[in-house]
Amino acid sequence: MEKLYVNAIGPDGNVSTVGLFYSQAEAQKIVDLLRANPDRASYRYEIVEAVRHVLSEKDPVRARS
Amino acid sequence: MADPVLAEMVHATGATESRHYAAVKPTIQDYRASWVKLAPFRDGPVNSQRETVNDPAAMTARIKARATELGADMVGICRLQPHMIDLGSEVAHEFVIACCVAEDYEKVTQGPDAVEEEAMRTYAKCTEVATALAASVREMGYPAIAHHNGASEVQAIPIFYQVGLGELGRHGSLINEKFGASFRPGFVTTDLPLVEDQPREFGVQDFCMNCNVCQRNCPGDAIPQDHVITHGIKRWLIDLEKCYPYSRLREEYCHLCVDACPYIVKSHPETYKAFMKERKQVGYKTPKTY
Repeated sequence: MEKLYVNAIGPDGNVSTVGLFYSQAEAQKIVDLLRANPDRASYRYEIVEAVRHVLSEKDPVRARS
Repeated sequence: MADPVLAEMVHATGATESRHYAAVKPTIQDYRASWVKLAPFRDGPVNSQRETVNDPAAMTARIKARATELGADMVGICRLQPHMIDLGSEVAHEFVIACCVAEDYEKVTQGPDAVEEEAMRTYAKCTEVATALAASVREMGYPAIAHHNGASEVQAIPIFYQVGLGELGRHGSLINEKFGASFRPGFVTTDLPLVEDQPREFGVQDFCMNCNVCQRNCPGDAIPQDHVITHGIKRWLIDLEKCYPYSRLREEYCHLCVDACPYIVKSHPETYKAFMKERKQVGYKTPKTY
């Protein structure tokens, strides 16, 4: 499965992660809902691939302990 | 299935339903039916004789006492903010009352069926508390809607954080000093004039940076090492593709990340020690009854 973050970028440039999504369609649906919210008119949104190291992988050292 | 990730994973196995949900025992089915049955009563007629609230602090104390009398173990109140409402939903109320019912942690040593039954019992109790509390508020002449497992438009974690009942932990659940992550939520949104509680930070997020016990016990390796930031708060986003093979595609309930969370150790030292001894014996990263 794809793993995508939706990030909200505030007017001050601060990035806040909305969540982790598993398809482009699901992520885009969230972005569309957020864009439709007038309270968030000053935010920009991006959909980015979740970098592999962020998602936990089996760590052989830790698994042995 | 409302969850597209689960639907895709279930269909990939050739099934039409999650094995976990298909296999639930009659007791658990009864609990689930109880919140479905109460869903139509989450809202109702509002008494036309509105009680005047001259002292919101006194009213807040009264509401908290009522929630406690109904069975809540903790109660908190805050203003309802947009990020607490499900995307695409509208809730016009000004306040949200958060109620929590604690699970009996002693069940962890009795295996996953006992843990699941306790979780569902607690959800059912939260549903009762929220439904009755909303009815009490409407009787005072103010609109009020209950939000629970049967029907809800609010998000539990940002509300619980804002009312000061806990901080978000690495395992994705809120952690309270007394109950750890072993509690369940129910909510009432309302326009009744109340006084807000405040968020309380007691070191959970810093603790989780170094603890990793939930991560070491997760059989699916679904709990990440690194975090993201949302509105200044650390979030470790659980990888559902790794979680669901253990929590949804097997018959047994998986609640290990919460059960292994050491924040429960102060209130249940012996049980926690016994549970973790059992975890060690089975090698940590496995469902414990294998």
